Amino acid sequence: MKMIRTENITKKYKRYKKQEGVIGSIKGLFHREYEEKIAVDAFNMDVDEGEFIGLIGPNGAGKTTLVKMLTGIIAPTGGEIQVMGFYPNKLEKAFKRQYAVVMGQKSQLFFELTAEDTLRLFKEIYRIPEDEYRKNKNFFVELFQVQEIMDVQVRTLSLGERMKMELIVALLHNPKILFLDEPTIGLDAVASKQIRTFLKNINESRGTTILLTSHYMEDIKALCKRSIVVNYGRKIYDGDTDMLFEQYQKSKKMTIYFEHSVEPDVPEYCRILEKTNDKLVLEIPKQNTEKVLESYIGHYPIRDIGIEEEEIGSVVERIYKGV
Amino acid sequence: MKKYLEIARAYMKAQLIWRADVFVDVILSVAKILFAWILWSILFEGKEQIAGLEFHTMISYYIISSYLFQMEKSAEISQQMTGMLRNGTFSKYMVIPVQTQGYFVAMEAGKLAFSSGIGFLATVLWFCLFRISIVHTVNLKILLCGIIMVILGLLFMALLNYFLGILTLKFEEISTFLMIKDNLSAVVTGAVIPLALLPEWMIAGMRFLPFYYVTYLPSMLFIGKCEDEAVTGLFVLSIWCIFFIVLNQVTYEHYRMKYDGAGI
Repeated sequence: MKMIRTENITKKYKRYKKQEGVIGSIKGLFHREYEEKIAVDAFNMDVDEGEFIGLIGPNGAGKTTLVKMLTGIIAPTGGEIQVMGFYPNKLEKAFKRQYAVVMGQKSQLFFELTAEDTLRLFKEIYRIPEDEYRKNKNFFVELFQVQEIMDVQVRTLSLGERMKMELIVALLHNPKILFLDEPTIGLDAVASKQIRTFLKNINESRGTTILLTSHYMEDIKALCKRSIVVNYGRKIYDGDTDMLFEQYQKSKKMTIYFEHSVEPDVPEYCRILEKTNDKLVLEIPKQNTEKVLESYIGHYPIRDIGIEEEEIGSVVERIYKGV
Repeated sequence: MKKYLEIARAYMKAQLIWRADVFVDVILSVAKILFAWILWSILFEGKEQIAGLEFHTMISYYIISSYLFQMEKSAEISQQMTGMLRNGTFSKYMVIPVQTQGYFVAMEAGKLAFSSGIGFLATVLWFCLFRISIVHTVNLKILLCGIIMVILGLLFMALLNYFLGILTLKFEEISTFLMIKDNLSAVVTGAVIPLALLPEWMIAGMRFLPFYYVTYLPSMLFIGKCEDEAVTGLFVLSIWCIFFIVLNQVTYEHYRMKYDGAGI
């Protein structure tokens, strides 16, 4: 079953262009110039039930605009769009009961109250029967191990704890589709991993279709079988995530901290990004990562070592250039 | 309906968190009554009546109307809406299965339930402390009309402020509208001066406007004045409420579909 279907959807914004200075401001009182910005351009997308899709792209690529159109917050300027058979921007209640959205700064939690209070409110908003509410709440609370903080004022929770609560609130009514905008932003490695495990579990055990936008390659790689890459409002890649990284991710970033000041040898195929007495940051061709790692471990007094995926912007740029 | 009650309950609970706010609220209500007592005592010196009202009737009017005026905090709705639309957090209300108008009215009702309780206790306390012989109606029907009118009046103000909030979708900047509304309602509700002090033709004109019935008329009804206007008042206010419920629904749907500002 198709959960999402878009055909040539486009979104154009009109922006006021003001000339600089006081004179420009005064002129603007009488005559205004507007420019048109195409945020999403002839975008086609089909999503099947139960898919876990990554929406990737640099800032300003059009990802959030796309999610806003899919959730009905804004209307497309042109094209056709259907989510679970509904035209999203009508914002029918029957439609809104079937999806959930977790978007960065737009918290649904009551910061003055406890998470338990917010859950009780959402039980009524989504008309969840008492039995189902208890069952779902217990399931998520146990999955996330948050029993201890259910009665604590939300304001006092850490960012990671808050995101867990945000997800529980979003999933309480068993949505068919979950839209996630940067769910791991600002979280430490442990909390990010917990969130990823949780999302994977929800997708597999409940069959929830999930559309995830993230800047973190780790999120996309760990969770999404399929990825859609967006740039300048257009789709530039739609396919298997492994293939995407295999084909376009060329390098990794290795950060090494030494116990004391050393002068390490750097292989010629590596690019030095940063070098201090006790720290070395290298860009390494993907296929040589293991070799470089072996050449340092055991040969130098290493305090810590970290390997990161290549940042999303470089991958997108490569897809865009077709190299 | 149950969900809106739960929304109201959530906001009422949130009000109870900040203890300092609760105490300041009580102190402010008390200070206002004290100020009125001093002011009207001076004005009544050597006089039996002002604008047809005796001292105790006037002070009763002032305390009741200032209590009603203090209860009315719906300006928060428009301020909150405009802020959220512009900083991009308003959409969180759009994606949940509630009517945004209902959500904001319920939110206001929840906050009000708390502040009206506090205000009521403070008012009763001051009536006792100053040994003010409160002048009030003995007609239960009029009392009931007054209570319904207060509820409708507060509903109307919430709807009006919601309407002004919606205008952000069109104008983005609504502070001028808010300023006009604040000044107009402060004068027309009788909170600045009793409307009895105004010329008759002006009061006659105000009878077609809803503001007359928000603070002024219910206060007068509670002190046993203007009883013949009670039913007409309820009718006029109900019409205004229905008008704004429909207007808000239509305006919101119209503008939200057109709006695509960066901050939604």
